[in-house]
Amino acid sequence: MSALGDTREAGGWAAGRAVAWLRARGDQIIVLVVLIAIWQVLSMMLGVYWVSSPWGVLQRFVTGIAGGDLLVQASYTFTEAIIGFLIGAIPAALLPFLLRRWPMAVAILDPVMVGGYGAPKLALAPLFILWFGIGIESKVALVAITVFFIVYFSALAGVRALDHKLVQMAQVLGANEHHVARHIVFPGAVPYIFTGLRIAMPYSIGGAVIAELISANRGLGYLVQLGAMNFDTTGIFTALAMTTCIVFIGNWSVDALERRLLRWRPVSDQKLQAEA
Amino acid sequence: MNAPLLEVRDLAKRFVGRAGRDQPLWVIKDLTFSVADGEFLTIIGPSGAGKTTLLNMIAQIDVANGGEVIFQSQPAPISDPKALDPGLHCRIGYVTQEDNLLPWRTTLQNVLFPLEVQGRLNDETRKHADMLIRAVGLAGFENHYPHELSGGMRKRASLIRTLVYDPPVILMDEPFGALDAQTRTQLQEDLLRLWNLGRKTIVFVTHDIAEAIALGDRTLVLSRAPAKIAGEHVITIPRPRDIRGIMMHPDFAELYQRIRAQVQ
Repeated sequence: MSALGDTREAGGWAAGRAVAWLRARGDQIIVLVVLIAIWQVLSMMLGVYWVSSPWGVLQRFVTGIAGGDLLVQASYTFTEAIIGFLIGAIPAALLPFLLRRWPMAVAILDPVMVGGYGAPKLALAPLFILWFGIGIESKVALVAITVFFIVYFSALAGVRALDHKLVQMAQVLGANEHHVARHIVFPGAVPYIFTGLRIAMPYSIGGAVIAELISANRGLGYLVQLGAMNFDTTGIFTALAMTTCIVFIGNWSVDALERRLLRWRPVSDQKLQAEA
Repeated sequence: MNAPLLEVRDLAKRFVGRAGRDQPLWVIKDLTFSVADGEFLTIIGPSGAGKTTLLNMIAQIDVANGGEVIFQSQPAPISDPKALDPGLHCRIGYVTQEDNLLPWRTTLQNVLFPLEVQGRLNDETRKHADMLIRAVGLAGFENHYPHELSGGMRKRASLIRTLVYDPPVILMDEPFGALDAQTRTQLQEDLLRLWNLGRKTIVFVTHDIAEAIALGDRTLVLSRAPAKIAGEHVITIPRPRDIRGIMMHPDFAELYQRIRAQVQ
């Protein structure tokens, strides 16, 4: 009975959702078109020299992709961001689990973590270039440290949000410490970890670009720097457009992974999470 | 009758007042009773009488401030928070008030969870789980997540999650409290049917007098805090019982009146 009702409700609801989805996409396109129009007007008023133009950027973008150079530069940035993201996120997600049995250790580490979270990572870039050189290592290091602190605090919140009733229940059912960690604490913290990953993803790409800006001979940040030196605003905007594309790809990947791993959550929760 | 399966002797529990300013509050004091093997014992008491606290102590997830819990003639380590052994090695099952299903596991995965962590997952136990799922009408919902189930279905899932590993004693804390009357009666019937198959020992806590009479072999009445036994009633209504028609039974009204007089 109730199942039938649920299905019918879900059917009508899915149709409603499709309409809402289309409307949202339509509105998004309108906003995009308006922004591009403003840009076009500005470029006609101020001159292409200062603000380039949408058409010019599009042309350069297509040529860059077709010639392969833009993609090659983007792939450097992308690689730095992904490697740094993994090196930062994986230990950050695991550390709160390892420290779960030692609240003392968490308390001792807390000022360090808060300091690390608050410190402007941009200021670390010159230091990392001194330490690791102008190659990929310094960029990876900057990305990793940026991502680490964001993900650490969300994973910590996840471990702390543990439902002790579920733990007691599992223990009564025969679960040992290892089972509790694996079947209760970890799955319960995954939504929190994803909140962290979602926030950290754009930072990882931004971090890579900034490190390249300061010192590099390749990557999208290098293209921005090159454009600035040559008074080539179109080059700068093209590199920025490519960066935005990578951010979209990164966000989409995190979303896809989250949808897969968090199938068990009610949809309204997922939506709240997405809006948060 | 042989030695009781489960004995509670002079059990006591106090809650410490806020920051030591208030007097400690004794929720349970000098509580003594025993449960025979295969008995369906119902315990009834007003809300706030410490019913859940009592079950938590028997299930070994909460410490006592005095007294003993003796299971199969062996005292359980109930006063030492470090020595607590929740469920006494899977021998005491506990169906809590909330279903406490793992939200990231499907119905089937939730039901198989105890077998999995106890290392007892094999073809035979899987078949048993499958039988229980069908017996309570959850067939077709094996791969649904808890949020996709109705309240009654979640209750059924949490009930058979305990039945599936066959503990000698099962504690139940108002498991059907939050359900509508129809679902509740249905689940009571399901429970009696399942109990008839295996004749487990059940300690069933409720605040509903009719439910206590309909299900139990014997009913204990708890007083207000500090909880003690205020009365004991053997339910003479023969089994198998018809839950829907139980109020028509000649003994029902008298039992109801007697118990009601003791429940303050």
